[in-house]
Amino acid sequence: MNKRTKGDLLLDISVYLFLIVLALVMLLPLANVFSKSVSEEWAIISGKVGILPIGFQLDTLKEVVSSAMFLRAFGISVGVTVVGTVLSIILTALTAYPLSKRNLPGISFLMVLFIFTMLFSGGLIPSYLLMRELHLINNLWVLILPGMISVFNMLVIKSYYESLPEALEESARIDGAKTYTVLFRIILPLSMPVLATIALFYAVGYWNDYFGPMIYINDTALKTLQLYLQDVVMDASAANVTNKSVDDLMNMSPEGIRAATVVASTVPILCVYPFVQKYFIKGVLIGSVKG
Amino acid sequence: MNATDLNRSRRIKPLRTRPSGKWRLAWRNRDYYVLLIPGLLFLLLFKYTPMYGVLIAFQNFNIFDGIRGSEWVGLAQFHKLILSEEFGQVFMNTLLISVYKIVLLFPVPIVIALVLNEVRRMFFKRTVQTIIYLPHFLSWVIISGLFVTILSTSGGLVNNIIQWFGGEPISFFVSNQYFRSLVVFTAGWKEVGWNAIIFIAAIAGIDQEQYEAAAIDGAGRIRRMLHISLPGILPTIVLMFILRLGSVLDAGTEQILTMYNPVVYETADVIGTFVYRIGLGKMDYSFSTAVGLFNSVVGFILVISGNYISRKLLNRGIW
Repeated sequence: MNKRTKGDLLLDISVYLFLIVLALVMLLPLANVFSKSVSEEWAIISGKVGILPIGFQLDTLKEVVSSAMFLRAFGISVGVTVVGTVLSIILTALTAYPLSKRNLPGISFLMVLFIFTMLFSGGLIPSYLLMRELHLINNLWVLILPGMISVFNMLVIKSYYESLPEALEESARIDGAKTYTVLFRIILPLSMPVLATIALFYAVGYWNDYFGPMIYINDTALKTLQLYLQDVVMDASAANVTNKSVDDLMNMSPEGIRAATVVASTVPILCVYPFVQKYFIKGVLIGSVKG
Repeated sequence: MNATDLNRSRRIKPLRTRPSGKWRLAWRNRDYYVLLIPGLLFLLLFKYTPMYGVLIAFQNFNIFDGIRGSEWVGLAQFHKLILSEEFGQVFMNTLLISVYKIVLLFPVPIVIALVLNEVRRMFFKRTVQTIIYLPHFLSWVIISGLFVTILSTSGGLVNNIIQWFGGEPISFFVSNQYFRSLVVFTAGWKEVGWNAIIFIAAIAGIDQEQYEAAAIDGAGRIRRMLHISLPGILPTIVLMFILRLGSVLDAGTEQILTMYNPVVYETADVIGTFVYRIGLGKMDYSFSTAVGLFNSVVGFILVISGNYISRKLLNRGIW
């Protein structure tokens, strides 16, 4: 069985080749934009920058990161993400618990109420008019409140609760614990892996949201990072990026500034990513295998 | 946990048989319903209120008069929609982009999962997985930025290569010829790795004994891949495919919004972006809501029928 045939060898070679090419395709755009953000100006303008940087300078990045507009947008995005994630995960975890008690009277009907919203929605304009009515336009809460519960995430948590052994709850009840005690002292602590994963998904959702801010936020002072980034990416004039005079920016091309802004907004994700990676794979499996 | 367990945990007064038992059971477990209150309020306010707002698709909605005061016009908005040439174009764009995405991108995650399963070096496997999941976590704006950079006509990597081979540089982002390809490719770049997760999980669930038995019978690795791994995940593949069909009218609104511009409206404007442009751009609330409602209803029908088919064929569905 351990003897390797020619076919096996061929398979091995193709497998590794395929995956290496795939990984390179994923990395190439990232490598290119990173190189452009730190390359010397002349090299960017003459179009020589490929995968590796040509020369090295951090001025463009420093300029981008220290600009008041970038910092404010960055801060707003951090705030929305943190507050939104905390509220979302609490609300979702609490809502999922009663819904996991399938035999409670009326629970299956309430379940239908939740699931129906996954299949049908009022659409953009009615939602917009509602936010207007609630005076949430140009209010950062509009980026959090409508997305506090993702029914899909709730279902993942619910199916995790259902997978916990019933005996745990029963014995706690026999010891006299009430519903809330059971939930907060037993169920939630046991659900940390799945809650961490879902929290990560919420955080990524809040951080990356572009559509919401674009619709509901027109006040320049409340722009989130993604909105700011879109301005720079699609219209990379230096004036968009800094409040400095044109003279100061003579040695920075729109191209370089665009690259630096993209890098500055990507780095936070790249920093967190390796640490949370192992959690989300586990979490996704929990949610998906049950199907 | 089921009803008997709920009863068992409060053994003192058994609840059964009497018609009021249900209400009693509910009252005894009122703590659970209390926990649901915030979630239900959220649902009513932010999900169901906009559904009521859909009524303006049947009106000539005027923002000052509100839903109650505005004039009812029946199906007039839908007539306008069917007759509008622009909507025809938008509908075709949506279908085309969506179908391209399904045909070209749906098989890729399956191949990735099958191939990854053949890798025995854990370090290599984990590294590749880490890399191919990563783009999923980047926003569409960042991805637009990455591709604007790499495809730029002034020194972008791809155009440099094209020129090196003697070709003319291509302005991908303002080209009606290439924009759809760009949309499909970037969507693939972002999600193929991530979408492989579910198939990887499915392969991991296949009984290892099957592989051993096949190996003893003399099946090589390629055969085992094609005759055990692939059939093993077939139900997952079919389920995912049916579900994917359900979202055929969602061609990727946020993605296209971050990438397109008036030059490529002709080929890139999809239902989602159209609703946004007409509704919030031109303030034609009623017409735009009618378009959105059309989209929601078709999507709803597709998902329901997809799930129905999947339950018939596979005995599994999303609910």
